[in-house]
Amino acid sequence: METFVQVLIDGMLNGMVYALVAAGLCLIWGVMDVINFAHGEYLMVAMYVSYWLGFLLKVDPLLSVVAAGVFIFILGAVTYQLIIRYTIGRPGLVALLATFGLAVFLKNLCMNWFSPNFLILSDTWLGDKTLQLGNIIFPVPQLVAALLALVVIGLIYAMINTTRFGWAIQATALDRDAAELMGINTERIYLVIFGIGGACVGIAGGIMPSYLAVHPEVGSMFGLIAFVCVAMGGFGSIPGAFLAGLLVGSVEALAGFYIAPVFKYIAVFGLYLTVVFLRPKGIFGW
Amino acid sequence: MKHRSPRLKSWILFMAVIGMLLGFGPGAGSLLAAEKIIKIGTIFPLTGPVATAGQRCQAAVQTAVEIINNKHPEIKVPLAKQEGILNGYKIVLVHADSQGKADVGKAEAERLLNQEGVWALIGSYNSSVSKPASFVAERMKKIFMCGSSSSAALTQRDMKYFFRLAPTDATESVDFVEVLKWVNKKKKGSVKTIGVIYENSEFGKHAAEEAKKAAEAGGFKVITDVPFTPGATNLDSEVQTLKKANPDAVLGAVLGADYSLWVRTMKKANWKPRIIINYCSGYQDPVITKQLGADADFFMGSSGYSPQFASLMPAVAAVEKIFMTKTNGVPFDGNSIQEAVAMLVLAQAIEKAGSLDTEKVVKTLYENTWDSPLSLGGKVAFAKGGQNIKAQSIVTQLQRGEYRRIYPEKMADGKIVFPMKPWDKK
Repeated sequence: METFVQVLIDGMLNGMVYALVAAGLCLIWGVMDVINFAHGEYLMVAMYVSYWLGFLLKVDPLLSVVAAGVFIFILGAVTYQLIIRYTIGRPGLVALLATFGLAVFLKNLCMNWFSPNFLILSDTWLGDKTLQLGNIIFPVPQLVAALLALVVIGLIYAMINTTRFGWAIQATALDRDAAELMGINTERIYLVIFGIGGACVGIAGGIMPSYLAVHPEVGSMFGLIAFVCVAMGGFGSIPGAFLAGLLVGSVEALAGFYIAPVFKYIAVFGLYLTVVFLRPKGIFGW
Repeated sequence: MKHRSPRLKSWILFMAVIGMLLGFGPGAGSLLAAEKIIKIGTIFPLTGPVATAGQRCQAAVQTAVEIINNKHPEIKVPLAKQEGILNGYKIVLVHADSQGKADVGKAEAERLLNQEGVWALIGSYNSSVSKPASFVAERMKKIFMCGSSSSAALTQRDMKYFFRLAPTDATESVDFVEVLKWVNKKKKGSVKTIGVIYENSEFGKHAAEEAKKAAEAGGFKVITDVPFTPGATNLDSEVQTLKKANPDAVLGAVLGADYSLWVRTMKKANWKPRIIINYCSGYQDPVITKQLGADADFFMGSSGYSPQFASLMPAVAAVEKIFMTKTNGVPFDGNSIQEAVAMLVLAQAIEKAGSLDTEKVVKTLYENTWDSPLSLGGKVAFAKGGQNIKAQSIVTQLQRGEYRRIYPEKMADGKIVFPMKPWDKK
């Protein structure tokens, strides 16, 4: 039983981080109908921001999350201004290919600047600390990352549902033309949404160097899993992405432990296919 | 029609002649063709999860070529004292990136041989890439020199044009089991059970198979077998599987970033077996071990070279100086040095054959034992199938960030720390 609980906790902690990464992607898709293929690379860039702040200026990732979030917010906004803006209203494949190109560009840029070497930030505040309850171990960095994810997702959900700006976002997502007729600056909404979507993944990436090595390939698998979470949760649904993140993390861990470690991603993608087959719009899709 | 002045005409003619001499214009091809160059293709993972290792392998081949093409009287390796081979032929490298992917590596092998017209190939670090890429070379009757891929299957294919320098995971597995027996005898280790963790790839799967065979033959029991997907976001369930089985020893085939993730996940789970021995993996990567700091200590693995082997291989220092100019000061490791040896041995064989006839060079490669001061045994010789039967490695243990030679005892420069110290007792 203890082992089951330990495996489940590990899975849920990872799942919450997946959910945060997916929340940004979900927001962008939900409002703009744009699939951002560079999402995993945003995560990687955020990790580099946090790493270099830690390495050069001795700023702990716990503080760097803010800088990483802001940096990726700006990167997202710039991406919108320079690339995405020109793809709106065109076939979905245009934005998809444009962001795919951006992903390749960012990955190779980081490889060129920082080399493919793996960078590990040592002596962080959270470091290798663990909390132990009986025989159950809670890794502190992952625990903090999960709590951060919970807070950020909660704030975004609250913003969308309780603020005027959030209602404007919802209106834009439902009908852009009608929203414009109501006086909503949809161009600005799109810009900010791409920024917020980036900030979510930026915050996740900002905390990760506390426990994960940074390298140019690090975002690829996270990006892929984020797509699964968004599709499984329902395109555009933040609670859906959150639930899917938890589900993916737990299934990954339990299947990896109880079936076979090599089976964990098979189980995740199998679950995704099952959900999409039974409910093509995802769990919370509409 | 406008007439040009005779002076302008003579200038145009003069410039055309200069242009042709410099290699532009219609005469360029023949001038280049007359140049004495041998094109060699390299295929390494220059991007992707193991790019750091691939880039060092490429730098090692470049280092060897620099020594072959120029006079280096201060370097004590064959061909260093002369300039070029075959009376003035220089080697020119054409590089390709496999991304660590078998299909990309195969396509690059085809491109290098068909379009770039390279004379031979060197590569490819990943066994999964070396396998299809060398098939392409074999089909086209071109030599494929493989420095560091360790899958034993590569030299069990009865190929004629494939040569591998590194020890195989089959021989390494036998060595590891010998180490476990030695630990049981010398340290009263009572190691009985083994766990195997490996990436789910050609290299990992084969290493695991060989590990299981050697363990059974040595009287050990393999109680857990943990394959994982390379590039995974976490290795939690993998480590929990190991922890639950709690084997006395773990044999690991874990490359690149996955290695650091594995080590850190074991620390997070507060679990370690009594001894961990690694195949050619992240353990041998000096960059990764430096990044891991004290967490990397007490892990073991086999290695054909590390800077701590300097006293056994005095010729390496001068070569390493050139290598380090290409790697921002990172020294050779057990894998990259094998790629330099691959290039040097190929050049020696061309020189000895006195010809660029591939069949003659292949025959020469098989028939001779080659001096190789960059190899642990000092010699290279190939058996049928292309395996270097003189390949040797030493089992080392990381102690305070340095690779200490542990086994065989006659080559040791340190004592084994057994069992590994727990995470909280460094």
